[in-house]
Amino acid sequence: MRIAVEVNGERYEREVEPRTLLSDFIRHDLELTGTKVGCEHGVCGACTVQLDGEPVRSCLMLAVQAGGRSLRTIEGLAEDGEHPLQRAFHERHALQCGFCTAGFLMSLEPFVREKPEPSEAQIREALAGNLCRCTGYRGMVEAVGQAAKELGGG
Amino acid sequence: MTSEVGSPAGGRLVGRPLPRREDARVLGGHSEFLDDLHPAGLAHLAFVRSPYAHARVLSVTPPRGAPGLLAVLTARELEGRTRPLPIQSPEGSEVADEPHPLLAAGEVRYVGQPVAAVVAESRALAEDAAELVGVEYEELDPVADPHASDLELLRWRRTAGDVEGAFRSAARVAGGRYAMPRLVAAPMEARGALAYHDPAADLLTVWCSAQDTHRPLRHLGHVLGRPAEQLRVVVPDVGGAFGSKGSLAPEAAVAAIAAIDVGRPVKWAEDRAENFVAAYQGRGMEAEVELALAADGRMLAVRARILADLGAYLLPATAMPPHTAAMLMAGCYTIPAADVRVSGVRTNKVPTGPYRGAGRPEAAYFLERAVDDAARALALDPVELRRRNLIREFPHRSPLGWTYDSGDYRRCLDLALDLAGPRRAHSDEGLVGRGVAMYVERAGGSFEAARATLEPDGRVIVRSSTSPHGQGHDMTFAQIAAERLHVDPGDVVLEFGDSALVPGGTGTFASRSVAMGGSAVARAVDELGKQCVQTAARLLDAPEDEITWGEEGLAAGDGRTLALPDVAAAGPLEATARFESDLVFGSGAYAAEVEIERATGRLTVRRLTAVDDAGTIVNPLLAEGQVLGGAVQGLGECLAEEATYDDQAQPTSASFADYSLLTAAEIPPIAAEFVESPSPLNPLGAKGIGEAGAIGTPAAVANAVSDALGGRHVDPPFTEEKLWRAIGE
Repeated sequence: MRIAVEVNGERYEREVEPRTLLSDFIRHDLELTGTKVGCEHGVCGACTVQLDGEPVRSCLMLAVQAGGRSLRTIEGLAEDGEHPLQRAFHERHALQCGFCTAGFLMSLEPFVREKPEPSEAQIREALAGNLCRCTGYRGMVEAVGQAAKELGGG
Repeated sequence: MTSEVGSPAGGRLVGRPLPRREDARVLGGHSEFLDDLHPAGLAHLAFVRSPYAHARVLSVTPPRGAPGLLAVLTARELEGRTRPLPIQSPEGSEVADEPHPLLAAGEVRYVGQPVAAVVAESRALAEDAAELVGVEYEELDPVADPHASDLELLRWRRTAGDVEGAFRSAARVAGGRYAMPRLVAAPMEARGALAYHDPAADLLTVWCSAQDTHRPLRHLGHVLGRPAEQLRVVVPDVGGAFGSKGSLAPEAAVAAIAAIDVGRPVKWAEDRAENFVAAYQGRGMEAEVELALAADGRMLAVRARILADLGAYLLPATAMPPHTAAMLMAGCYTIPAADVRVSGVRTNKVPTGPYRGAGRPEAAYFLERAVDDAARALALDPVELRRRNLIREFPHRSPLGWTYDSGDYRRCLDLALDLAGPRRAHSDEGLVGRGVAMYVERAGGSFEAARATLEPDGRVIVRSSTSPHGQGHDMTFAQIAAERLHVDPGDVVLEFGDSALVPGGTGTFASRSVAMGGSAVARAVDELGKQCVQTAARLLDAPEDEITWGEEGLAAGDGRTLALPDVAAAGPLEATARFESDLVFGSGAYAAEVEIERATGRLTVRRLTAVDDAGTIVNPLLAEGQVLGGAVQGLGECLAEEATYDDQAQPTSASFADYSLLTAAEIPPIAAEFVESPSPLNPLGAKGIGEAGAIGTPAAVANAVSDALGGRHVDPPFTEEKLWRAIGE
């Protein structure tokens, strides 16, 4: 099947097998390998991208389902240089191996945009849809608080 | 012996909590993990795996053809060309000759064991074709329960001191039977390898999601019978390992053969389902422990029998964790006599191997639970019992034969108690418990190497034999090198993970990177620094002892300076160092406060305190990250994690839906502090921190759970059902 998608503001047209997962389409067909695949059963969240602005697990969708829609991946997160979340993740040591990081960032971006002063419990809830095996999450909790504050009401 | 760490012009870098310079690439989505590599002409590998825990393989029939099919490999195709993976044998042990075959020949012994490999144009087509491979099995009886196994794969025993006399004269004998379930390391990136054979040079290059380059290199050399010069191992970004990517995966060796056969690059990128059934698991040990105690609480002797569920075969490091557990069974205490035995038995499960701690968490759990049970038997406060027996002088030779180099166990304990705060009482809704656990761990040992080169532009390139998979070697080693060379860390470039570029080493495991790899870096840059001074002295025509380092480079006594590029122009300056040392022993004290809901048995860890002595800390931010990450893995082990099998040895926890990792919403407050008693065995004074959190946490939480239950013992994971039943007893 032929599909057209907009990814990070660019339009792509590709021929895909109907069975192709959106995650494989992004990584293999579009060669945007910043999106990672951790479990292929929708639990770990490493493959999270934004579909029309909403975080989705790209391993639980078929590429053809994204036809005609707009995607944003880690490669399109920073509009100029560095997103406040990326900076905060660095400063708070919120990543170690980094395999889960893109999924966390794409999940959290709407949260920090919409919640200027989240409580720690709200942050932890927002993080709880993704898995990280390295950090123990503390740096991430701090980073999300910092980024939300920075973006506060903006 | 930290005197070698000087006080450079640029100020101290060791000890500063600097964020990692390696982050930017990852945060921008530009990391390159194994499955991100797509060389031209790439073919893909998928495996046919055994659905049975034990069966005879009567026949394997490749499909006549399938879309995109390039090759099918079975044991027959490997015959005469490969050897099984080597087996490491711990000191003093007897190990069976039961290596893991690359592909099953005649028999399968666990669910998930590779039987055949299919190479095709894409991963999807390889999986399609794998489904067309016909395998005829004849089912055999599997062994799921290690107690029912009649085959020992590993035997070890050590006795020291007058154990029988101690038990005869003891005022009390206390202890129990304690078990840690099998766990899955579950790095977020599963395993994988990409191989390419260049026929002209007869060079086989294997990109491997591995902890280091030189273990896969050695294992590939052994398996394929290839000399090291015809092998190159490249380690790209690695998405976590926790011990599970130390030994070469049998599948990676098959990928290498496939690449030679099809004459194209071949990639095996393991998926999560495969990782759950076929990647080696951790723990799976239990122990009967007895302590002989004097009336005043002095520990006179320890006796322990460790039973390890090793699984179906011996992988290279399968025998190591039980041995490490056994060797640490005297813990932090001045126990004069010990009798420790290990029996590692075969079951029809995937083999075990090192997983974060690799025997250390087991030892801490076995012994520290026994110490709490002993305190109860003696009607002594468990902290007081520990105090009366703590080792206070170093070096200390344990009766089991390891020499603890350094430590300050009492200070660790005091600090942990301070941070843990006051005890709380039970409430109407919940049973509250407080647990304390000490640990000592082996780290370092063997050797690592580094090569430091002064580049024409004045930068220093340091090539290190240990390589990172998330820890932060780049920043940490840059701090070590830049401080010693008196240069900006930005002028130090670290290179890792390519056997063609880096000097050979032992590997990244056992919390050894800073103590061993970091020390090798320190020695190499010290030597390079010396060469720089000699060269500058010659160029400036000044005595060497007058040359000093400054912001401009090197300066003579009269103020004339020479920038590093000028020094570099005078000749190639390069130094290689190999650093070797005995084991170093990190230690720590952990405290946990738990509450068990009376009505449901639900466990809440209210607070965890971690005090670790890893010697000198190079980067406290990253070291704390290691402690927190390890502690959360330890908490996962307490709250949820267990690799389960049914009575036919079928895995029943083979997805993240059934084997749940903790999320951010389930983590209690964790207070983490360091005590720094430097090791005398290396120039940095460093010990190990990578595994600390995973070692101390389960023992402390288990003691807290037992305390809440009035002394009853329950093994992890502390599920609601287990705890609810224990409350009812």
